Amino acid sequence: MDPILNIINISKDFVFHHQEGIRIKVLDDFSMRFFPGQATVLTGPSGSGKSTLLKMIYAGYQIPEGKILIRHKKEWVDMAKALPSLVYEIRQHTIGYVSQFLRVLPRVSALDTVIEPLIARRMETGKAEQKGRQILERLRIPENLWHLSATTFSGGEQQRINLARGFVAPYPLLLLDEPTASLDPANRKTVMDLIREAVQDGSCVIGIFHNRSDQKELADRVIDMSPNMTSQPSSQALEV
Amino acid sequence: MTYMPGEKPYPLLSVRNLSKFYGKTMGCHEISFELGKGEVIGIVGESGSGKSTLLKCIAGRLTTTNGSIFFNSSYGFIDLCRTDEMLLRKIIRSETGFVTQNSVEGLRMTVSAGGNIGERLMAGGMRHYGQIRKIARQWLETVEIDAKRMDDLPSTFSGGMQQRLQIAANLVTDPRIILMDEPTSGLDVSVQARLIDVLRKLVARLSLSMILVTHDLAVARLLSHRLYVMKDGRIVESGLSDQILDDPREPYTQLLVSSILKP
Repeated sequence: MDPILNIINISKDFVFHHQEGIRIKVLDDFSMRFFPGQATVLTGPSGSGKSTLLKMIYAGYQIPEGKILIRHKKEWVDMAKALPSLVYEIRQHTIGYVSQFLRVLPRVSALDTVIEPLIARRMETGKAEQKGRQILERLRIPENLWHLSATTFSGGEQQRINLARGFVAPYPLLLLDEPTASLDPANRKTVMDLIREAVQDGSCVIGIFHNRSDQKELADRVIDMSPNMTSQPSSQALEV
Repeated sequence: MTYMPGEKPYPLLSVRNLSKFYGKTMGCHEISFELGKGEVIGIVGESGSGKSTLLKCIAGRLTTTNGSIFFNSSYGFIDLCRTDEMLLRKIIRSETGFVTQNSVEGLRMTVSAGGNIGERLMAGGMRHYGQIRKIARQWLETVEIDAKRMDDLPSTFSGGMQQRLQIAANLVTDPRIILMDEPTSGLDVSVQARLIDVLRKLVARLSLSMILVTHDLAVARLLSHRLYVMKDGRIVESGLSDQILDDPREPYTQLLVSSILKP
């Protein structure tokens, strides 16, 4: 099968100009391919580049070196060089990304926040709201909160709104940054189900999970991003 | 003069090597960027960085010292810096919108709210009074102003309402490009939130093409696809909004981003 994502020799460092010019190398010549219908878990200590990798794939971080090739509508696109208009389109249709924290907006209801990706795809509002209600129900957000702005929600509720937004529309590639971190057991199970369903439907899912049982339960493969796992030539990470 | 680059389709706007000097003082220098149709770009930087100067040059409110501003107008892809005065006025009036920080500048305070909106329609040739009132009413509702206030003077409106009225008056003629100069400054945060929300909905619904000058990075992130960071009259960094705000590379951008207080 053809990969959906092919990462070739990417490196990334951060220079902090106002903190004595400290330079931190986070990724060094990293290469890896990812396939449809596959769930990959990234592990490793904080600072080993897991979130950075996800953000680079989404082009939320700049890609100074290497290529990130993504299959978008049957064409290969290098996220490092794609024109902005193409990046917007890829984010709308091909790559979904659930960040660790929801960026809440005042005056925008939880339901509207969740269905935004569907509206962006020009789905009719009534239909989008129906889908939104279904996913909010599945993630146990009480109905009396749906029409309130998520600004006043608890951390766990905000994270579930964030997840609902990520799962409301299907994406060929779904990036999840610690999706189960602040969830109770019942919601954790729901999220694991949602991930499994997405994979069964052919999505490629790449997620960061710290919980060993999550990793075991879900992953087709686990990639350890620890800095000491650099023995493998031309790839920083090791598949375990 | 018509510019003929190799690539097509033309962007909506292409600014090339634009410089503006006030005597010997630099306003902005060697600015180049492009804006696509349906795209919102934010220009950020502190006061005096030249961002408003740049916007006013594009809006034809300042004459440029050097460079070109190619605009994909209904008269073709033309350089606004080299267009005769009459055509320039025509294009600026009917194909661009300009929302200023100070609504007293952007509105006619002695004309009713409905009149401020209707004026642009009449300038565009519309004559039917009932039709004009109907459109004005719809626009007031879109920007969340009670239609009952249609015949009131804008001077009786709050600052936030005046800004929303200014936006309605600018959008009513469906201009190709909207230029906004610090539209949210000087407003209380709660009033700001409403204005930003109205803007956000309009951008999404109408696929507005917009240049937004602001020193508020949160507003810039929320509304813009791409950002340009200006310092001392020049662009120091540009890219997708999340790249600039989450992964700034230039020392000045890092300083700007790290200086925001998070409540």
